[in-house]
Amino acid sequence: MAQQSLMGNIMKKGIIGVIIGAILVVFAKMTHFPFVFQVMFFMYAMLGAFVFILLDAPTMKRLEGPKAAIALVVFYVILSLVFTGGASGLPQYDPEIEKGKIDKILKRRKAMTEQGKAEVLIARVKALDERAIAIDKKLNSLGADKIEVVEEVGSVATSAGGDDILALGKEQWELQECYNCHKLGGEGGKKRGPIMDNIGSLMTPAQLREKILYPKTWMAEGFDKQYKKGKMPDKYKDLMFDEEIDVLVAFLASLKDTSVDTPKPIKMN
Amino acid sequence: MKHYSPLQMIRNSTFPISGVSLLKWGGMLVLLLFPILAWAQDAATQAMSVEYRDIPGIGSRNIIWIVAQQHLLLAGFVLGVPIFAWICEIVGWKTNEPRYDKLAKEFTKLLTSAYATTALFGGILLFLLIGLYPKLMAYLTDIFFPSFIAYCILFILETATLYMYWYGWDAMQGRKKALHIFLGLLLNLFALGIMIVPNAWATFQASPVVIADGTAIERAWSAMQNPTWWPVNIHRLIANVVLGGFICGAYAGVRYLLAVTKEEKEHYDWMGYVGNFIGVFGMLPLPFAGYWLMREIYQYNQQMGITLMGGFLAWLFILQAMLIGVLFLGANYYFWLGIAHRIPGSEGQYKKPIMAMLIVLLACLAVWMTPHSLVASLAEAQKMGGTHHPLLGVFGVMSAKMTVSNLMVLVTFMSFIMYWRAGKVETAGWAKAAKGLMGVLLVIASVAVIGLGIWGYFVPAIIRINYFSVAQVLIVLFIMITFTPLTALLMKSAKTTTEMVWGQMPVRAGYSLVLNAVMVILLMSLMGYARSSSRVHWHIYGVMRDTSEYAYSPALGYAAAFMSLNTFVFCLLAAFIFWVATLGDKAKSQPPKDEPVKVPPMGSSTPAMAGGAPTSEETRK
Repeated sequence: MAQQSLMGNIMKKGIIGVIIGAILVVFAKMTHFPFVFQVMFFMYAMLGAFVFILLDAPTMKRLEGPKAAIALVVFYVILSLVFTGGASGLPQYDPEIEKGKIDKILKRRKAMTEQGKAEVLIARVKALDERAIAIDKKLNSLGADKIEVVEEVGSVATSAGGDDILALGKEQWELQECYNCHKLGGEGGKKRGPIMDNIGSLMTPAQLREKILYPKTWMAEGFDKQYKKGKMPDKYKDLMFDEEIDVLVAFLASLKDTSVDTPKPIKMN
Repeated sequence: MKHYSPLQMIRNSTFPISGVSLLKWGGMLVLLLFPILAWAQDAATQAMSVEYRDIPGIGSRNIIWIVAQQHLLLAGFVLGVPIFAWICEIVGWKTNEPRYDKLAKEFTKLLTSAYATTALFGGILLFLLIGLYPKLMAYLTDIFFPSFIAYCILFILETATLYMYWYGWDAMQGRKKALHIFLGLLLNLFALGIMIVPNAWATFQASPVVIADGTAIERAWSAMQNPTWWPVNIHRLIANVVLGGFICGAYAGVRYLLAVTKEEKEHYDWMGYVGNFIGVFGMLPLPFAGYWLMREIYQYNQQMGITLMGGFLAWLFILQAMLIGVLFLGANYYFWLGIAHRIPGSEGQYKKPIMAMLIVLLACLAVWMTPHSLVASLAEAQKMGGTHHPLLGVFGVMSAKMTVSNLMVLVTFMSFIMYWRAGKVETAGWAKAAKGLMGVLLVIASVAVIGLGIWGYFVPAIIRINYFSVAQVLIVLFIMITFTPLTALLMKSAKTTTEMVWGQMPVRAGYSLVLNAVMVILLMSLMGYARSSSRVHWHIYGVMRDTSEYAYSPALGYAAAFMSLNTFVFCLLAAFIFWVATLGDKAKSQPPKDEPVKVPPMGSSTPAMAGGAPTSEETRK
């Protein structure tokens, strides 16, 4: 490469890089790319300019001893900052989303553990404590004959409505990631398992329950290969609680879209 | 009337008791005492039921992240280096050139000093895992115990073989060299075993299979044969060679930067070249191995594949593309610097091809970095007309990415061929025809790779994945397999027009070797994070949930900062290990400063070390 002055090299190629980058940004804006992509396109151009600058850059002064070691550390720090800064500049996934999902899944399971039981009991005691304080205040202000019965804090509705059950069933569909193998409402996979939109017309709740707990008991028509390979996991009887299976079955039983061709289930054993 | 809350009443133990409240407070007392009674169990039973322990402040996950990463990086180096050290030794043995034997010995010296530290971190990791994740470890032990025994045996064999290989190096020269080479083979076979056994444990976590009933060995074997085991084995085997090559290159780069004598500069310039060469050649098949692994993941669990490539980890792959792109640029840049500085006068001849290659690499990088689905705000998505940009969507799919990765491999290979041919003129009568044939093949291959990539848009995914992508890979491999021996034959009879001068590379060549090593380490750290995060909140996907407080996946920026920290710690460790390993050398070799520089002869006919090498004293004799 022809040796030329460092500044001249940087100026010439840097300007070309900025011009190309600006053209890319304008193009990206005109074609409605999100902002992050406009920045990325500009960075592509600058990266290219940087490599071109390096190709023709004059030889650097050789450092020796501790100075060389310090230069290496500085070089690493620069790389590290660019990497971390670049990664932090990209759209970030929010861990709180996953935390929320985990909490939903684990709430019931945690309650089943000794620690969970203790936590539930302590929570109940605290709730009662708060209730007593509330009653105390009311007694002081209104008198005992006017005390209203306060609904127990933390109690669960004893009877959920039909819509609630279906919503809970839909939640299980999502949490157990059934959509990974089954298509429903035009979303999800369809290669490993049958489309489910009309399954409620083809199977009774008891049959659906049997299929979830013991996948080998039923096979969808045309899914012989998947059936033989055991694609449907035999794990839900261990992973799910009875109530969770109940609501999922109720949800599946409600799927009666006859316009969709859900494969016919065949009883196997 | 004074009113007490239940807690106050229990604490004070002097609260008014009415008939109605007696039952209530009595019940409360039982409720409160219940957990105390439940906790009053046998200590051993309690210890058995502990699922997690934590280290306050840093957190159990973070400490495991650091230690596991250090262990894996050291292990990658320790398992990768014997492969090319052994190949170097064979090259030296077959060509009777002691400099290759010396180089192989130097690689092995780095290996021996890193071996103990790798084992140390392995031990620390094991203790931490048992202590911090007892339930998970108990489950894995239950399934894999026979493989633990196999692993221990392999480890003993590997250690014994390494001792014999290293300490027997000088004793097993001459007629005993074949025995030493055989030891090198055993070393690599045991190393392969040491790598694939723990891979089975890790891949089982990501892609567990239904464990068959039977003996403990049968159960362990069925669990080992999970869908991602062999793809990961192959991917890691190649990646270890790449890591080892680039770390040796960085070691040479640093030594080159610190070198004082011309002999040192020559030697470490050459060693840096060899390290870069090994890293690049390992890197060429790596995208294909990665593609196979992703394919298996998609086939095993589509959701896991989507999580990785199109879900919350999608941007991670943009970062990966950037790192790989910089690595390709760095490796090519080092070749181009070699043409400009080791072969004076060649720079003008190759300037235009270098510019063209750089533009192709940058264009390929841009396509590779294009995500499939865009993370856009609602307003942005409305403007675009959906989550897929009408223009960008074309480049975001796998067909485009496979095409550009193949093209980048092809360009890098041609950089190497160009470097090999620089400063030489072919004298063989068939040289013109051979060069013409190579040119035609290169054009046909490039057109075919791009053509298959475009055609891939119009065929079902199964045809694209099973036939087109495989065909693209085979085309590139065909070019590499035909060009390498053809160029070697051409160079055998070629006339050297410009002598290759070692030790004249600019300072930034040393930095580019360090850059390549840092990029590889960051890449391995990034992909470790990806592999672990793809399991989301499962210790063992679909089988055992992670119920700890660290079950969620950390955000990319946080993870990147951690990766930088891990890389820095690893570099410090490696620097310390290599410094200790070379302490003895400094005392031994202090040649006179005014000794004349020996210009190495050109035209090493050995294809694997194309570009020649500085001749050592032994060779001269």
